[in-house]
Amino acid sequence: MVSRKCLALVLAVLLSGGGMSFAAPSCCGPAFAAEPFRIAIMTPTLSSSEDEFRAGQNMAKKYPDIVKHITHPDNFNAEIETTISQIVSLADDPQMKAIVIASGGSGFLPAIQKVKEKRPDILFITAPIWDDPVLMSKHVDLCLDTDWIRRGETIVRKAQKMGAKTFIHYSFPTHLAKEVISMRKSMMEKTCAELGMTFVEVITPDPQAGDGVAAMQQFLREDLPRQIALYGKDTNIFGTNCPMYDVIIDEAIKQGFIVAEQCCPTPTQAFPTVMGLEIEPEDQGNFEKINAMIRDYAAAHGMTGRLAGWPIPVTIYLPELAVEVAKRMIEDPSFKATDTRELESFGKSLFGVGVEFNHYQDMPNYLVMIMESIIY
Amino acid sequence: MMRHISPPTRIMLVFLVVLLTLALKAGIDPTRLAGDALRKLGMSAVLVLSLVPMMRAGMGLNFGMPIGVSAGLLGMCLSMNARLTGAAGFAAAIGGAVAVGSLFGYVYGRILNVAKGREEVAGVFLGYAFLPLMSVFWTLAPFSNRKMLYPVGGQGLRPRIGLDPFFAGVLDKGFDLTVGGVAVPLGLLLFAGVLLALVALFYATATGKTFSVVGENERYARILGISVEGRRIASALLSTVLAAVGICVYAQSYGFAELYESASVMTFPAVCALLVGGASRWRAGAANALLGVAIYQTMYLLSTPVANAYLASETTELFRMVVTNGVILYAFLRR
Repeated sequence: MVSRKCLALVLAVLLSGGGMSFAAPSCCGPAFAAEPFRIAIMTPTLSSSEDEFRAGQNMAKKYPDIVKHITHPDNFNAEIETTISQIVSLADDPQMKAIVIASGGSGFLPAIQKVKEKRPDILFITAPIWDDPVLMSKHVDLCLDTDWIRRGETIVRKAQKMGAKTFIHYSFPTHLAKEVISMRKSMMEKTCAELGMTFVEVITPDPQAGDGVAAMQQFLREDLPRQIALYGKDTNIFGTNCPMYDVIIDEAIKQGFIVAEQCCPTPTQAFPTVMGLEIEPEDQGNFEKINAMIRDYAAAHGMTGRLAGWPIPVTIYLPELAVEVAKRMIEDPSFKATDTRELESFGKSLFGVGVEFNHYQDMPNYLVMIMESIIY
Repeated sequence: MMRHISPPTRIMLVFLVVLLTLALKAGIDPTRLAGDALRKLGMSAVLVLSLVPMMRAGMGLNFGMPIGVSAGLLGMCLSMNARLTGAAGFAAAIGGAVAVGSLFGYVYGRILNVAKGREEVAGVFLGYAFLPLMSVFWTLAPFSNRKMLYPVGGQGLRPRIGLDPFFAGVLDKGFDLTVGGVAVPLGLLLFAGVLLALVALFYATATGKTFSVVGENERYARILGISVEGRRIASALLSTVLAAVGICVYAQSYGFAELYESASVMTFPAVCALLVGGASRWRAGAANALLGVAIYQTMYLLSTPVANAYLASETTELFRMVVTNGVILYAFLRR
């Protein structure tokens, strides 16, 4: 009995000591911040999406005393309760002032509402999540996302500039049921009609029902040569699902068709896999270098001007921007993140690439962006 | 004649004929379809064949196939890490797959002997339990070839590794042949064919027959002095090794090695193909695997283009799901 009490005492001392050592560095934080604070960022796991995960890691490395990086379970839809309790428990830390959620999933709103009830002072930034936009705008302080619908126009225009006469849109039922994806598709169809291009819609096996991603990719492998035989090389291929791009870009190099933009434009997805890029440790995360490697590979395979994208991964840009914005908003209350011009110049100062922000359907705190293009 | 063909085979044949008629009516190029069908047959044949040894030994359908697939992926990763290319790279991948597969298969067989009579359920859960372990392994294993590592962080293997710089298409393009406009992947078909023949021959030998006896009548096998447990372990080992080789064949044709959770998606189509080929608990052989994979993969190949041509995408997708799962259910009901 005595020994157990001793143990409890020792543990208590150790824990409080640990707590002190944790708290100590925060006293040396920025002088203008009134009190020490913490920001949490939640991302998918490494194997489900590297970009967001590394963005979270980068931020935690850059601001070790401020940023806390956590991940949500892989099969997010099946373990929604775990995710909610993870987010809610973040609010137990009295120093927690902001929570960033960067995940291409939906179902986070209940957690956000729960935290807001308990701690209305906590700032929420999503970068992005895909719940109902109107509800998101109501409960989330700042919603960031790519400009899905306007990209329906910009991608087609870019494809035409790159020489495309036909535009093929690959998708599947569960994706087309999402409002933004089907609105983007309609926009693409409309823009194609305006520009006199042929718009073709192809449905692939559904990766979210039944046989999974493999069946979809296998179908693309078989279908792309068929379509190119039918419509010729001056065809732009667009798919609505990231895993499609390993096959699309691989086939593009073999068949010579155009890929103007990926669904989630990034030089770090599909390109390194297909091109077998060897990225040296010192170049890790150096997008200029990675882009140069892609350009060289494209040139060596006669694909100059046929592949394009955004110079840095949007899936790294948005989560990192969200953390920086949260930090800025806490430190400097006069910073207006919902002002598109202010956010644009803040983004430019951090990443050095031009980004255009707009309000989504006139919602004041829902901002959507399009980045400048890079043509390899 | 029809009486000798099992109901799943009959249903699928009818569906296949309907699809084929629709495809030709829709103007889909038949020579390209034939070439694709042959390639798909070669790609998946070994994976389907890998189910046969365990079926023969009375251990049911090998739902623990992800274990063998993981062994094959590991074999490929080891070969790629050593930067071996072409035929040498593929041979090394197969060598690695067989070595790792033997080890995994032996342990798997030991576990299944404990779960005797419940092998299929045990296999499902072993597969589920094994994949997260492999995910940890893929992330932490000290692979050094940067073509395989995550592009941003540089630690851990990419979820999908492109095989083009290594041994993509070594079998497919090995002895390419064009017959009447149809591209025949002769190397791939030969490789799969040799393995199918070897398995068929093995079960025709005296030793092979003892394996079948274990599956058919365990008590009788014991009276004959056959080591039932030993034969069962050997069957699990053989199934696992074949699955490991099967994924190498599949991957070199597909062009990517897919790690992490992807190892789990190979099982159902393979199981379904074997059942469509007319296999049952008492009768499963290389011939069933060959017939099944030919019918099933051709149906796979046709269903989506036909659906697109007739703008009824959801319907065929749903019908295919019903057929796939229905055939597996049928196999369970017949026991």
